[in-house]
Amino acid sequence: MSRIRFDRSEEPREGTIPDLAELCRIHEIGLDLIGRSHDVDDLLDRILDEYESRLQDLPSDALDARTGRAAPESMRKLRALVMFAAQATALKEKAVAAAELKRRAAMLEEGNVKLVAALEEAERMRAHLDGVLAGLSSGVMILDGAGSLVKANAAARALAGAGEDTALATLIAHGVPRDGEAEIDLPTRGGGRRTLLVARRAMSGPRASEVVMVTDVTQRNRAVEERVRLEKLAEVLKTLSVLSHKINNPLTALLGRAQILQAHRSSDPAVAKAAAVIEEASQRIAELIRELARVVREGRHDALDDLLDMLPPGTAGDER
Amino acid sequence: MKVHATREGPALRIALRGCGAIDSVNASAVKAESLRLIGEATDVIVDLSGVEFIDSAGVGVLVGLFKSLRMRGGRARFCGLTPGVRAVIEIIRLDRIFEIDDDAASAASA
Repeated sequence: MSRIRFDRSEEPREGTIPDLAELCRIHEIGLDLIGRSHDVDDLLDRILDEYESRLQDLPSDALDARTGRAAPESMRKLRALVMFAAQATALKEKAVAAAELKRRAAMLEEGNVKLVAALEEAERMRAHLDGVLAGLSSGVMILDGAGSLVKANAAARALAGAGEDTALATLIAHGVPRDGEAEIDLPTRGGGRRTLLVARRAMSGPRASEVVMVTDVTQRNRAVEERVRLEKLAEVLKTLSVLSHKINNPLTALLGRAQILQAHRSSDPAVAKAAAVIEEASQRIAELIRELARVVREGRHDALDDLLDMLPPGTAGDER
Repeated sequence: MKVHATREGPALRIALRGCGAIDSVNASAVKAESLRLIGEATDVIVDLSGVEFIDSAGVGVLVGLFKSLRMRGGRARFCGLTPGVRAVIEIIRLDRIFEIDDDAASAASA
């Protein structure tokens, strides 16, 4: 057997598996055979070398169970081989387990590095999102699955009123349908009313959360109301224009006849008085028609109320 | 002892047949013939179903084949161990070093 003897003054090299060094001492295995056994493959090579060497040195009768009469020297070498095999295989399995642990530790470390990177990226994204939300003029609120407020940007807090964003979130959660829109009227500190247009949308992702857009539509609603009012008024003025034109023709005829009656100086004082009343009334109507025409022409709807006041009792002026 | 080589799926199957023993008498010849048949193959199944007795020299042949395949980055598996061979392998714990399957089909699918 060409075994290199173990030199007891030789210490295990840096990185050598400690148990392997002990194994070498017990079984007189040269450290230079296993000195580079820093991993499982190399260790297995060294163990196989030692197996091969010891098997060559083992007499044939040592493993012959058929005779059962192995020589004492054969039995001694067999016992040494069996002891070596027991410890070497245990060591190999330990090294395999250690290598597996090392591999898993490396995987965990790699996973940890990725996780940290992902968390940092998420933090950057969150900061970016916060910046975007802060810069939006519209109110944005984030609600969790239970409808509780998670986040609100400055615009949303301003619309809700100081410290009232949580109350507004609750109001939205109960008053606005999911994935729907609704207007909410809120009192203002000055005693007025404010109308908020609220839109709820589900956010994609594992958590059931929602994004809520809040827009103050008070001014917009007022503008719409004013436009509708003006449109209605324009219709009224148009109708008045038509009416004044249609009234003016028969009125002119009426006024002319009254003036003829007065020119002939009727002997009947009652007729003369009636003619005078007809003419006066006709003049008033003519004046009213001219005023109406002027209002219509100038579009002065503010003067319409004054004009309607001029209408005689029992006309449309009393029906407003 | 004769050594036969056949294909077992992607692996080369080496079957040891003949006198039923690998011992000091034929160990060198069996090893040399096996290595010749293995050639450049890297996936080898050693079928021992025809071996009834093995001594230290025979075990040395198996260790030598196993090492030879490992050294070239290959793989050797053993199958068909008879009770006598299995007992010897287990005494010296090579069952915890070698890859051992019940038969060639199991080894080929491992």
